Amino acid sequence: MTLRRTVAAELRKTATLPGSFGAAAVAVLGTLGITIINALSVRGALRAGQPDRVAYTSPAEAVFSAVPLITVGAVILGVIVISSEYTANSPDAGGSRQITTTLAATPHRLTVIAAKVAALTVHILVTAAITIPACLTVAHLVIGTPFAADALGSTVARAAGAALYWTLTGLVALAITVLTRSGIIPLIVGIVNSSLVSASVLLTHVTSLAYYLPDLAGMRLIADDQLGMFEEALDPLTGALVMAAWALGFLAFSAVVFIRRDA
Amino acid sequence: MTAILTRTAAAELIKLRSLPAAVATALGTVVIGVVLTAALASSAPSAAPTSTATDAVIRAVPFLQIGPILLGVLIVASEYAGRQIATTLAATPDRLRLLAGKSVAYLVAATIINVATLGAGLAAASLTIPVRAVAVRPIAGAAVYLILIGLLSLGLATVLRSLVPPLVIMLALVLIVSPLLSGYTEHARWLPDRAGSLLYRPDADPTLGTVVLVAWIALTASAAIATFLRRDA
Repeated sequence: MTLRRTVAAELRKTATLPGSFGAAAVAVLGTLGITIINALSVRGALRAGQPDRVAYTSPAEAVFSAVPLITVGAVILGVIVISSEYTANSPDAGGSRQITTTLAATPHRLTVIAAKVAALTVHILVTAAITIPACLTVAHLVIGTPFAADALGSTVARAAGAALYWTLTGLVALAITVLTRSGIIPLIVGIVNSSLVSASVLLTHVTSLAYYLPDLAGMRLIADDQLGMFEEALDPLTGALVMAAWALGFLAFSAVVFIRRDA
Repeated sequence: MTAILTRTAAAELIKLRSLPAAVATALGTVVIGVVLTAALASSAPSAAPTSTATDAVIRAVPFLQIGPILLGVLIVASEYAGRQIATTLAATPDRLRLLAGKSVAYLVAATIINVATLGAGLAAASLTIPVRAVAVRPIAGAAVYLILIGLLSLGLATVLRSLVPPLVIMLALVLIVSPLLSGYTEHARWLPDRAGSLLYRPDADPTLGTVVLVAWIALTASAAIATFLRRDA
């Protein structure tokens, strides 16, 4: 009962953060924009009769190669859900931190963490449920190829995989922010590693163990890797399990820290 | 006037030095620069047989720019974390001079940090792979680029008066949007970091790139000055 009410409260708090509006805008509009640019270049290549000019021709690829932006959205959301609690108010309004109010309302700390996790998961899944179908529709409309019925299964699987990847990324960002109580470090790490110059990808040149890092473990959930750049990457199921283990491990550790230390 | 600006800049430098996050940024940038260039230098040979220590340093620049970007945001955003801006403006009511002082303080700090980072990175790379020749021009260009890109984030943070939004915007721009866009359209070369990258690419003419990057900074600085002069603190 308490958990249900706390989740409802956290859902509302998350939804009304100005930052979560920004994160959703980055995820939805940014991904849509990149999808349109991708789809336009695919259409141009197809019309010119040179499909080998682009790396792919399917609408699904045009969508899923735009994922770095929505991953950034998930990272931002995961970070601000926690960092907003620790930001001090203006001294004119008492200079307090929201976390003291939150813990006064819900003294059981594990409930607070569980509710935060639930609220973040719901928000990311809703964003994914809006973004992916919208982008797929737009990509189909722009490219103009008829919808291939046999590709439906794999597209749905990849969309579900992408939603799982974003959720787990957001949860890792949330867990790290609980530890740091400030958004700077998790934001930088999260954005760098969702980018094309990811530090984890660099590490793979040094050791293939780097494919077990949280951001790379799940990459096959989304990426088809048509260029064959990541042949050693874990396959989707293993990767998802490794990534989930990272997320749960981080969450468990930060829950213990959150329960034991002063707010 | 110069004497007063010197005092404002000195005050800003003292504030910056006593800001734990700024000190951590400076140290972190240098350490990451050393580790990264050493790793890049040791992992390079298979891909590029003619790689030099300079190459390793240049390839680290996309990561190293996080340091100055964070520094530029921190120097402004720390004023707005509490009401320090009220104290600052009581001490220096001339807002234009305050912005100038902050910029000078940033330039001094960023020059020290970036020169130290690039120098340490170059040393680390030279220890990792045999040095054939060290090209000075790209390294000097990288230092100038790193200093300028942080100035852009300082201007943006002044407009937005907060920590997270300008940080996210700058990082997303230089790490995600610009690499993604440059894959699709040649117009991406007008983005500040793409234009600025001409400064440190060994075979490029840096003139136009510098002009474009400085134009971005001038644009952001004008917006920062206009908003900072007109609105309540």
